[in-house]
Amino acid sequence: MKMSLNIIRYFVPKTKCHFSWKNPIIQGTIQYTTASGSSDVFNNMTDWETLSKKKKISKAMKAYLERAREHDDFMKKQQFEYNIGKRHLANMMGENPETFTQKDVDRAIEYLFPSGIYDPAARPLMKPPEEVFPARKAAEFDEAGRPHHFLFYTGKPNFFKLLYDAVENIQQANNFEDRVIRKKATPDPNGKLDLGGSVWLTKEQLEMALVESITDLEYDNFKVVMERLVSLPYSYRHKEFIEKHRKPLASQKFALEIPKPSYDDEGKAYITTYECLRKKARGDVTIKSPGTGKITINGKDLSYFEDTQSREQVLFPLIFTGMQDKVDVICNIEGGGPSGQSGAIRWGIAWSLRSFVEKDMLEKMQVAGLLTRDHRRRERKKPGQPGARKKPTWKKR
Amino acid sequence: MAKNLRIINKYTSTYLFNKWPVVTRIRDYGKATSFPDYFQNPIFRKEDQVKLIESNELSKLASIPVKPPAVYQTSSAYQDPLVNKVINHVMEMGKKQLARSLVEKAFENIKRKQIQRFHLASTPEEKAKIILDPKVILHMAVENAKPLLQLSPIKRGGITYQVPGPITEKRSLFLAIKWLIEATNEKERTVHFPEQFAWELLEAANNTGKVVKKKQDLHRLCEANRAYAHYRWQ
Amino acid sequence: MLSRNLRQFCRRYSQSTTFRTSQTSPSQHNENQIGMFYTIDANLGKQLFTTGGLPKSFMKQTKTFTETAVMVRRPALDLMECIKASDMNKPVVRYVLYGEKGAGKSITMAHLLHFAHEQGYLIVHVPWVSEWLRRLPRHKEMSNSQTREGFVDLPLDAASWLLHFKTQNQLILKQGDMKLSKTYEWSKRESSEAGSPLAAMIEHGINRVKYACDVVDALVQEIKILSNNKQCKTFVAIDGFNSFFYPLTRLNTPTKKKVKPEEVTLTTSFLELTKNDWNNGAILITVDELAVPEDHQESFLPKYLLYKKGFEHLDPFVPIEVGRYTEKEFLSCASYYRDRLWLRGPPEIETELKFTSTLNPFKFMEQCAPL
Repeated sequence: MKMSLNIIRYFVPKTKCHFSWKNPIIQGTIQYTTASGSSDVFNNMTDWETLSKKKKISKAMKAYLERAREHDDFMKKQQFEYNIGKRHLANMMGENPETFTQKDVDRAIEYLFPSGIYDPAARPLMKPPEEVFPARKAAEFDEAGRPHHFLFYTGKPNFFKLLYDAVENIQQANNFEDRVIRKKATPDPNGKLDLGGSVWLTKEQLEMALVESITDLEYDNFKVVMERLVSLPYSYRHKEFIEKHRKPLASQKFALEIPKPSYDDEGKAYITTYECLRKKARGDVTIKSPGTGKITINGKDLSYFEDTQSREQVLFPLIFTGMQDKVDVICNIEGGGPSGQSGAIRWGIAWSLRSFVEKDMLEKMQVAGLLTRDHRRRERKKPGQPGARKKPTWKKR
Repeated sequence: MAKNLRIINKYTSTYLFNKWPVVTRIRDYGKATSFPDYFQNPIFRKEDQVKLIESNELSKLASIPVKPPAVYQTSSAYQDPLVNKVINHVMEMGKKQLARSLVEKAFENIKRKQIQRFHLASTPEEKAKIILDPKVILHMAVENAKPLLQLSPIKRGGITYQVPGPITEKRSLFLAIKWLIEATNEKERTVHFPEQFAWELLEAANNTGKVVKKKQDLHRLCEANRAYAHYRWQ
Repeated sequence: MLSRNLRQFCRRYSQSTTFRTSQTSPSQHNENQIGMFYTIDANLGKQLFTTGGLPKSFMKQTKTFTETAVMVRRPALDLMECIKASDMNKPVVRYVLYGEKGAGKSITMAHLLHFAHEQGYLIVHVPWVSEWLRRLPRHKEMSNSQTREGFVDLPLDAASWLLHFKTQNQLILKQGDMKLSKTYEWSKRESSEAGSPLAAMIEHGINRVKYACDVVDALVQEIKILSNNKQCKTFVAIDGFNSFFYPLTRLNTPTKKKVKPEEVTLTTSFLELTKNDWNNGAILITVDELAVPEDHQESFLPKYLLYKKGFEHLDPFVPIEVGRYTEKEFLSCASYYRDRLWLRGPPEIETELKFTSTLNPFKFMEQCAPL
């Protein structure tokens, strides 16, 4: 009702009346207009604005509300079905439905629907609907159609807000620096940000976090702005903001869980590494500690490999750590070719040597890259192209 | 029940068998063919590692994921990165073994020739001048064959001028190795690649021969076209 | 000049270095000198080995190192002991050297040739059998044999071998009174009389290439008779013997039919020679993987390489394995290479090379080449 009054206030012309308000006729009319009229009076008006004013909600808003309602219903239904499904699954597996976690669900699905499909993304699975279906944004504008976010009309409000915040932080850091210099103080050396063990969020992760799609150019811009922020001396004051957009890397794995050697019949300490893989070669490597430098591959000497390169690769970790005369190596491999097999053995030896070597040597091995699993595989040939990357001759027209 | 089974499409991360939570590029074929960009290059040569230890950066680098060294690289004392590069350039159709054996035979030829010269030289001073290590000769040859400027074609007013300009280290090295191999391939049919390559390397190390001549011709052209150098900035 | 004096000077001092020995006579080599290199005199080397005898890669090394040096190893010493101790009145003993590729069989044979030469044996040495049967330049001189039906002759090869035989045994042929026991008629006008010296027949064979194969045959018979009569002791050395028993050769008759080794006259001559129906001598044979094509190179053991026929022919024999280097031999070889400027670099290289070459002598030589 108030709104209708406002509208009328705008659309009824304000006249500079020579008549006084006390004029009964005008008074009457003004009284009439300012009084809160009943709805049937308005219903009788046929002015197009007044007709349209009945639709308080804009078309976009209406459509949005419709969609939101549908989505909510859908999600509720999915959640309901998921919960029921989970209970059914628990009953099938004979476990307690109350304490059936997501891990148990995964295990159960793998057991009940064994899949020979190679790609893990294509196998059957059951996950809570929030993980499976993409997130949607909440209401972005109110009923009048006015957006809540001040950057709504950029099209990607969350992303640009992020950049806006970053720039604001940069300016704040600069101001702080100016103040510090004026006071002739020095920055705190302990506060330096250590960004060695993390990377910026990838484009996909950023898209997921912001629930918006981003172009490559915009993502590069984002990275540039964040790098700028990090390079400032007082960036540690905005540590949380930066940490929020960095993903930590799980790379210290080589130092954790170093296995202890077991002892065989002769009292020699030995370690076996299974699952040594590279390309298509698969094998296992055993290292025996007080040894003479004997290397046995599939029962044969190092002459199993006929080319020098493979032999050098097998010897690489031993010579790097200086243990070539102190350990015996026994390996079994199959599959792949000389390069794949020697690469697998190299990784296997390095991984086993972790237990026989000191900590600083361990770090040196990690920096040398000997402890990284090489999970590269041959890229498949795509249809319409002669090879994996090679394309048919490019014709300009 | 079956309705709850959904096949994931692009929106979740794939867990590889080594349990790193890596989100792969959105591709429909799920195998990794190269390492993600945040992997650092490995440092495995003894000299480089010693430098790192001195500057106390070893522990920092140890916390970042590192790519494994390539199949043809080791940390041994007698592996040279320049030799590996030359072997890669000589290689055709991916035949690494053949390329490596050719380059090794070329080195053998160089060594035999130099030893012969050594035994023929009479005085100890002359003996000291003869270099017997083929890798040193390779380094010298490549150094002597590296150009210092390059010509780039720039079009002004309908005419394409050859403008001299600076050259990066990498490109200079690439051109030196390419010229050496090209000069070797212009050999007679009966002469084998390693022998011809040995000849080219010895001559280049001596600052004579086809490759050095080519480099000097290039330099002469650059000198002649000095007048157009300002076209680079117009 | 100066360099040669320098070298001799060094050699006098080399007795103190551990990889050389100044003992140049093989019969004096004993256990103390295992792993050490001894040099063969240049002229003697030329006499014995110019027309074959040492592997080609070794000849290249000879040129680069400006000397012929052979390492004293256990198999060679064992063989020399056996030959010295064998009874000359009993039928000949056959020794078979075997080992993997590049283990040092041909070099051991060369060592023993030197020994035999010193001891005054008559040397019958076939440098590499596959040269005759498998090496095919554009056109191989072949002709159908005249004396035997269906057999193939290799005239040029036979003539070159006769020359080789002559150079190796110059001294013995000059001084010895080795005469033919019967007359051989080559054609209507040419014949070798009984009682004429062996050297003359050999000359005839070299000059008249057409009859070279028959000369070889005759020579084999004569040598057997001479040995039996104790006029000379013979040392037979054949490298790559298993090539005689491989089912095919690479030769083709003019009618494009593949020739089997048994159809070549030279094969029959040497198979005759290696039978143990004569005495006063020793036979040394090498079986090598390289003598047969690559499809059949699965193992280096004599039983596999000789096939059934060869095994039966040679049975009984004394097998001797030529193995890889031991640690001591390896180190001495490495220091020899350093001395000869073939290997340079920091000493740690040796540990790596020990593994990369898996202590195989040939591989070690190859690996040191580009370093």
